[in-house]
Amino acid sequence: MRKIILLVTVFFFITGLLSTSEIWAQKEKSKPKLLRLTFYYPVGVAGPLARVIGEMTDKFNKENEGKVEVVPVYSGDYDPTMQKVQTAIMAGNPPDIFMVEISELPTLLAMGAVLSLDDYIKKTEKGYWEDFFAPFRENAVIGGKIYGVPFQRSTPVLYWNKEAFKAAGLDPEKPPKTWDELKDYATKLTVKDKQWGVTISGGWNDWLFEGFVRQNGGFLISPDGLKANFDSKEAIEALDFWVELKHRLKVGPPHSTWGSTPPDFVGGRTAMLYHSTGILTFLKRSAKFDFGVTFMPQKKTFGAAVGGANLMIAKKIPKERQEAAWKYIEWMTNVKNTAEWSVASGYVAVRNSAYDDPVMKEHVSKNPEYLVARDQLKFANGKMMAKNFQKVREILKRQLDDSAAGKIAPAEAMKIAQKEIQAVIK
Amino acid sequence: MKRIYRLTTYGYLLPGLFFMGIFTFIPVFMSAYLSLFKWNINNPEPSFTWFSNYIEVFKAPLFWLVLRNNLVYAFTTIPLSMSLALFLAILINQKMGWVRSLYRGSLFYPTMIPMVAAAMLWVWIFNPGLGIFNYYLGFLGFPKLEWLYDMRYALIAIIIMSIWKNFGYYMLIFLAGLQGIPNHYYEAAAIEGATGWKQFRYITFPMLAPATLFVFIVAIISSFQVFDQVFVMTQGGPGDRTNVLVFYIYQHAFRFWDLGMGSTLTTLFILGLLVAIWLVFRVIGRRVYYEV
Repeated sequence: MRKIILLVTVFFFITGLLSTSEIWAQKEKSKPKLLRLTFYYPVGVAGPLARVIGEMTDKFNKENEGKVEVVPVYSGDYDPTMQKVQTAIMAGNPPDIFMVEISELPTLLAMGAVLSLDDYIKKTEKGYWEDFFAPFRENAVIGGKIYGVPFQRSTPVLYWNKEAFKAAGLDPEKPPKTWDELKDYATKLTVKDKQWGVTISGGWNDWLFEGFVRQNGGFLISPDGLKANFDSKEAIEALDFWVELKHRLKVGPPHSTWGSTPPDFVGGRTAMLYHSTGILTFLKRSAKFDFGVTFMPQKKTFGAAVGGANLMIAKKIPKERQEAAWKYIEWMTNVKNTAEWSVASGYVAVRNSAYDDPVMKEHVSKNPEYLVARDQLKFANGKMMAKNFQKVREILKRQLDDSAAGKIAPAEAMKIAQKEIQAVIK
Repeated sequence: MKRIYRLTTYGYLLPGLFFMGIFTFIPVFMSAYLSLFKWNINNPEPSFTWFSNYIEVFKAPLFWLVLRNNLVYAFTTIPLSMSLALFLAILINQKMGWVRSLYRGSLFYPTMIPMVAAAMLWVWIFNPGLGIFNYYLGFLGFPKLEWLYDMRYALIAIIIMSIWKNFGYYMLIFLAGLQGIPNHYYEAAAIEGATGWKQFRYITFPMLAPATLFVFIVAIISSFQVFDQVFVMTQGGPGDRTNVLVFYIYQHAFRFWDLGMGSTLTTLFILGLLVAIWLVFRVIGRRVYYEV
């Protein structure tokens, strides 16, 4: 018996050795021709988006057969993707192309991980860079240099359930336009223990909160990522408005998670929902009732912080790989593919001219609600970015959550956030 | 002869020690060493700073909240899941034919589900609007709660879920222990006139002591290792009210990329756990009677 086990083990060992050496031999032979690139990408919202990325990449690989092959690796949502990219960078084996949440750029720069793309962009067709919507470009640039190309991009919007509006005696075609209307409607729409008036989603509530501060004419971190501005009058007022809705009036849940609120909206648990435009396709497929999409209501102005992820190239890889990676990025963001990706995913098309693409034109003429997020871009700004952004988020979210539960006064909460965040981003 | 015997003993231990060494012991000592360094995004090159990380940990209010959460979790899940497991083990140890295997199977099945899958399931069970937990509570006339989304109840929700998930394993160990108690003890006790509670107090309980000690140690370790359900169900929120030690370590090491802090917390965690287990062995271990 023992002999048999030994023989089997030896057999597998030897065949294993042989097959790996064969693979090595093949690799050596094909090395000068085929460049195999790794591409880490997240999917920030629900939906079969991983499949879409796979199909698009297959097309690219076919067009470049024998020269470049991009291997897309789905790496979870934004936080796990950032972790995997960071780990790979620290281990000295970065993915050639990666897409991480836009606010992480300063952290990646501090790690010396991202390639500046200016030279490549200069060489592409004229007007390529300017064709991207301005607020999307903001988060790709630091110190005058371009480090990423917008791709999977969104803004938060307000969804409203038209049937719930009817039931509450409100005009189903008139969503709230101002904070005061929002408060008024939410109060009318709230049915105790059955339906919230308005849900401001948790999980990325830091992102939604920045939008509210923008609507109030303020900002949270200076564009260079060095000065925190959390204890400004505008930010405290914005937080006080949240506390009003979530705690004092109890017309919205004080806390929730990013993944739980779209099903809540579909299930009729909430009449209005603040969430990413990226869930629009999911809602259209799942909701059994008529709903609308509109700008987030204004205080002093309409406003939003853009969100999502940019395509980036690793700095510490050979030049030929960087060039191949750029080829892939340029291809993924050409007008046709930008349109195709937007139609398939529900994300905003990142380029102006993508909206002239015939596929896109047909899509938005049938589903005009996909244009809301794009139109809101006129009032949108870049998202705050800073070094150690993961820590910034945790600090801010803690204060937002504590305030929404009435544990701490907004002014006090923002003072703590200001002190702690300034200490980590300096 | 004796020397050869000893040599073969070490020979057999070697492969195990080798892997334990490279995957457990060396990393443990490495993190103890790294805990003396500042090493994060602001300081990409590690610099030696003595015990400054430790001071920073103890000065952070969040650390104490996390510790408190974890202690609340431990002091509720351990006694509740252990007594539930013991109670049910005694119940299904009664002779009742096929019903017994049915009960045993249905009580044990939560243990067999992977924790992450179970946590996903309980996210829906606890969903305030659509979940069955609130449905049944409403049925019984209780108010509906926001569970995972409410600072007051989120940790309780995780505790409920963890007891459901863990007690089956403890129950199985108790059951094995119960079946190892010779029946003639009970017969003798019955002749002497001892019934019910007395039989449990003077025969079952002391005879089960080794199993109880084992379950206790396992329960302590698992209650401080709690991570999966927190990661899946709440991510430590709302407002850090479900943030526990391992999740806190994970945040520092892999989210904030603060490797010095992560190592410091890990070292403190290991030391704390070792002290807890040493205490248990000292206080309870001595009173356990092993029938050899």
